[in-house]
Amino acid sequence: MPFNAVPAEDFFNRESDLLYLKGLSALKKNALGGDVFLEGGRGMGKTELLKQLYRLFYWEDNVIPFYYSFKTANLKGAYFAKDYFSGFVRQYLSFAKKDPSLAQSAAGPLERLMPAISSLGLYWLIDCMEDFQAHVDKKDVYWQIVAAISAPVTAAQKGGKPVIVMLDDFDAAASLYESSLGDAHGLVSLFRESIQSTLCPHVMTGSAGALERIFADHSLIGTTEQMRLGPLPENVAAELFGAHLANLKIAPPPADETKFLAVLKGNPLYIRNLAKAAWKMGKKALQEKDLIECYSFDVSDGETAFYWSSVLSRYIKTPEERRAALKMLVHALEKGGLDDNKRLSLLSGVGQADIAAILAAMQASGMVRDRDAVLRDVIRCLHMREIEGRDAGYARQKIESAYLSQSEEERFELVIPMSSNAELVVAKAVEQIGKNRNLDDEFLNYLQLALIEVCINAMEHSGSYEKKVFLTFITRPDTLEIIAENAGKPFSPEGRKEIPVEEKLRMGMKRGWGFKLIYAIMDDVKVERVNDRTRVIMKKNLTDKEESQ
Amino acid sequence: MKPAQFSVTSKLVGDAAIIYPKGYLNNLSGESLVNECGIYIGRGITKIVVNFSETDLINSIGISLLLQIMEDLRNIRGTICCTNMSKFLRDTFEMLGLLQHMVVFPVESDAIAYLKAQTT
Repeated sequence: MPFNAVPAEDFFNRESDLLYLKGLSALKKNALGGDVFLEGGRGMGKTELLKQLYRLFYWEDNVIPFYYSFKTANLKGAYFAKDYFSGFVRQYLSFAKKDPSLAQSAAGPLERLMPAISSLGLYWLIDCMEDFQAHVDKKDVYWQIVAAISAPVTAAQKGGKPVIVMLDDFDAAASLYESSLGDAHGLVSLFRESIQSTLCPHVMTGSAGALERIFADHSLIGTTEQMRLGPLPENVAAELFGAHLANLKIAPPPADETKFLAVLKGNPLYIRNLAKAAWKMGKKALQEKDLIECYSFDVSDGETAFYWSSVLSRYIKTPEERRAALKMLVHALEKGGLDDNKRLSLLSGVGQADIAAILAAMQASGMVRDRDAVLRDVIRCLHMREIEGRDAGYARQKIESAYLSQSEEERFELVIPMSSNAELVVAKAVEQIGKNRNLDDEFLNYLQLALIEVCINAMEHSGSYEKKVFLTFITRPDTLEIIAENAGKPFSPEGRKEIPVEEKLRMGMKRGWGFKLIYAIMDDVKVERVNDRTRVIMKKNLTDKEESQ
Repeated sequence: MKPAQFSVTSKLVGDAAIIYPKGYLNNLSGESLVNECGIYIGRGITKIVVNFSETDLINSIGISLLLQIMEDLRNIRGTICCTNMSKFLRDTFEMLGLLQHMVVFPVESDAIAYLKAQTT
């Protein structure tokens, strides 16, 4: 129910969104819009924004709020209709009497509310309830759904006040059915009349780009404004984290030890869960290494792990499919994308026919699309636990040690055009990076040569229309990792045959030294194909390569 | 590394041509090097010394063009000497198995003395 919203003072950086949504009924009345599809990644705070909006309207007296969550709804027509209808009646009555307990007590038949309804003189509501019951008695599922969905419109017309309808996780409404899954496509279009009512602004939430998937009706898509709820800015995210910690009586980390929070990418759910993990772990004060420790707990065994595991369970029903989905997700993380169904079938051990269904479920769950660092870590932990048979402690330790070493890493990115001598820019960049690490000049010459070769290879062989090479330099205490990526034709050094110098001297073809040099210079070289891109990952150990000072 | 604009200069000492490649030895500059050596070979010179003292950086295309010069000299039973190579350059050539096909000296004067001795 919508009453468990966080205190308004802990709801950060969404004031302008809230203010805009609050004005929707006026927009709708003046035919200037009034219906909003609020989209954003999981955990971005869409539900919380609706709850805050609900609370605002509830304690004022101008617009009646109605909130319905499809997240936990039974999508079988008759159940949905009853749940939606009774939810509306309770919330309407609760608003009229300013008694939150009426909305919160879902148990018990609606008839018990009759005395309260009569005392308020809401006879039209009694008529509504009788009409709805008549459709139930006739077992007419279609009209039950119509009656339920139209209840807010009727209330607005009879009661004289607009009703704002908030439909959370509205994507799921596209799966409404009569008696068995998929037997009645398009039931969601029954919301059309309600959405078009000038007395009922609608705020619907869902994943990015979902509106077109939900409505086949283009007039509804056209008149519904799409609003994106993005991540919190870095400073606001730190402030929110601090506020949660203060509520839990934990001293926040010093300002220069909050770099790790960037991993959460301003996602309010992750921020809250990290604070709660710190509380569960009995922390009284935090340093950066504590943040990493708490985070590792959260993604392996804490609320974020539970959250994503539940999302997976909601979309993937059987244990076999879940195992296959986890294998595919980890594979996608490693490869940077999903392969064709044949390869995925081999990888997961599931028949090709089932792969498409699992992929569709994974897409719908947002686990393929969102792919933020936190979700990536949760997927890795789930894989370690459910596929590799490790325990939560093992998974937690793995994540923790990865981030502890990363906390000492620096990352530089560079994009060069595929033009003459552009590789020298890269050579200059690696020289400066090396100088920052006190690497000796001769060692740097080798790195420059390897990098020049990888760039030349991309420029000469990729045939890329993009004509760019993307480079990432990652320095860690003991290694330098360089990733070069470019679009274009696939390239694999394995297929290249090494020709002896003697033979090269006799033949016209004297080229083909590049990868020989790269392999000789670097300690580890991997060439991958990621979608339409070739990625070369090179590593060089830095131990003992520093100049003696 | 201070890759200078590439240039090739040369001089004739006795019956040997001394070539000075300067800067970044890549495809374009490698072609200049091949052309410069070609001029001397065309004039009947069979002894070439390449002084690498001012070569900052080299790439695999530059190396393959150097191989072209080696082949041209081999065809006329000539000799190529490389001098003033940095440790990096020397090790790179060694890595590719090129050193056994050239005569390497620390400094230019040693190479000239060696080539002079061959004549007598």
